[in-house]
Amino acid sequence: MPLDFRDYLAYAKKYLSLAEEAAGRREDSRWLLIPSIVLAWAAVESFVNNRCDDLSSVPQEKFDLHERAFLLERRLRFSDRGAQIGQFVFEGKEYQTQENKIFFLLSKMGARKATGLKGGDLWRRFRKFKDTRDSLLHPKRGKPADLRPQTVRKHVQTAGQLIQEISKRIWKKSVDL
Amino acid sequence: MTRVMFDEKAKKSSQAEKSASEFFDRVATLEAKHDMPIIIFQDGASGAYYTKCSLLASDAAKLCDLNAKLDVGSPEGYRANRQLFLKHLTYQRMESDAVKGREFNDIIVEYNTEYDPATPLKVWGGQHRIRAISIAYSKSNRYHGFRVYFDLGKDQRTEVALISNTNIAVSNDTFDRMIEETIFGGILRKWCQKVGFLGSNEDFPDVGSRSEKITVKRARSFVINFYLGRERGKKLKTAKLDQHVYEPYLAETGLKGGAGITPDPNYDRIMSTHDILVDSALLKAGERFLALHNAQHRAVTDPKTAVKNMKSYRNKALIESVLCGWSYVAGLLQSHPQRLNNHYRIPRTSRRIPDPLNAQEMSKYKHDKDDPTYRGLGTRSALKDRQRIAQLFLAKSLQENVLIDPRLMDRAVSQVVGLISLSEGYA
Repeated sequence: MPLDFRDYLAYAKKYLSLAEEAAGRREDSRWLLIPSIVLAWAAVESFVNNRCDDLSSVPQEKFDLHERAFLLERRLRFSDRGAQIGQFVFEGKEYQTQENKIFFLLSKMGARKATGLKGGDLWRRFRKFKDTRDSLLHPKRGKPADLRPQTVRKHVQTAGQLIQEISKRIWKKSVDL
Repeated sequence: MTRVMFDEKAKKSSQAEKSASEFFDRVATLEAKHDMPIIIFQDGASGAYYTKCSLLASDAAKLCDLNAKLDVGSPEGYRANRQLFLKHLTYQRMESDAVKGREFNDIIVEYNTEYDPATPLKVWGGQHRIRAISIAYSKSNRYHGFRVYFDLGKDQRTEVALISNTNIAVSNDTFDRMIEETIFGGILRKWCQKVGFLGSNEDFPDVGSRSEKITVKRARSFVINFYLGRERGKKLKTAKLDQHVYEPYLAETGLKGGAGITPDPNYDRIMSTHDILVDSALLKAGERFLALHNAQHRAVTDPKTAVKNMKSYRNKALIESVLCGWSYVAGLLQSHPQRLNNHYRIPRTSRRIPDPLNAQEMSKYKHDKDDPTYRGLGTRSALKDRQRIAQLFLAKSLQENVLIDPRLMDRAVSQVVGLISLSEGYA
């Protein structure tokens, strides 16, 4: 069975718990905290990407062309030659950020406006979580990630809360985490 | 000569008086033996006439008929009551009590000589008690209390049968079977026999979950969904078929309301506007569905295949959500012949997926939206599952030779979730 967001989040919590135990013994815990952050991020990404997949499964007539390009993460180009002259065609990849995907989902499927999320406390915490994750995956001298167990615990909680918030807005129900 | 009187709440009826007199002339009762007056009562709810009296066990054993019929005019001998549970501890206790001299009361019978006149007391309530005293009377021959109904109409008879069994819960399947017989006659049963769901003289089971046969509820659901789907499909162009979430319907067990027992309103409407016995399209749909069920059953019970021989796997097609979804799509595609042909094809199998419905993987399938307690695709009768299964078969009908694998399941379910989410959003 493929892993879903619940699995990723559960593994993130497991690593965090092991890290807290190691920290309690005054041992190095960073090697456990790093996968915890990556897995918590994967939980959010899995949830968001699969919701985009739900929309991609819907017959294409339900979306404008630029919306389909967004969902498929493809670039849209106006063709000025060949068989498709005068038409817009998909061309190459154009990756979208998690933030944009979330806003898109909320504006297409959400029962409340996407603007309500941005600027709130949860979103601020999500941005911090993202910064930590980025500094781990794209390490740079002089920009060390904050790898204290209490900080990572907050990030893991943020991942769960964001998934819950999206679920409530698009499905009108809480998911069991 | 027995003196017959009417209770003050009963409206006098010469027919009821005549029938009661005939009964007391023919059947030996404790009341007649002691020259006691006989009182005829009338049920306020149904208007049925009855009397109360006591019969000796040895007489009751000879005169009672446990194979009572709801439709006395029908030449077919389908038994209306549920089966006897002779190994049930409650029954065994009843039998041993009867041997010890237990006197039973309020056994419900109908005096009817229209069929099997040698046994004119048709038992509607207390068939286990009758059986117990029939076994025991050579050791203990006592008087037992009876309520005897006269001149029952079909509706009254059904009601007597139902109210007489409320203390030993009648299964919904038996209840449905009784209502079906009373209101619609044997049409649905004949349709099932014609398609092959039932053998030529076979009736619907008392309890579907035990028999692994099609029940009245499932057969009704099949018929209803075929017609509901057909009505919807006529209004849609082929290109638009996949842009909707469909809602296959699950027939409801008859409800008792102010106007007596009423059948499912959709079923009632369909039966009054269609002759299901001559509708070749419906018959073909039934036959194709049966072919799918048989193929699934064969694949799961074949010892050479790796699928676990579980009831829920071998009868996957008969699970309500699967049956309703399949039938709805069969109806929907009546106006779209190419896709109908694809739908009627039994799904492809492979070495890895030897059963056409891929029951094992269906039962493991779960969408992110589902709670951890969700038991998998096509395992429940809920609307959510019926919608998903309809989409699954609709997606399958896009091509000729399709394997029901997790990818197809995911595509179908994601589409349902996506469409529902869109319709609830701002777009």
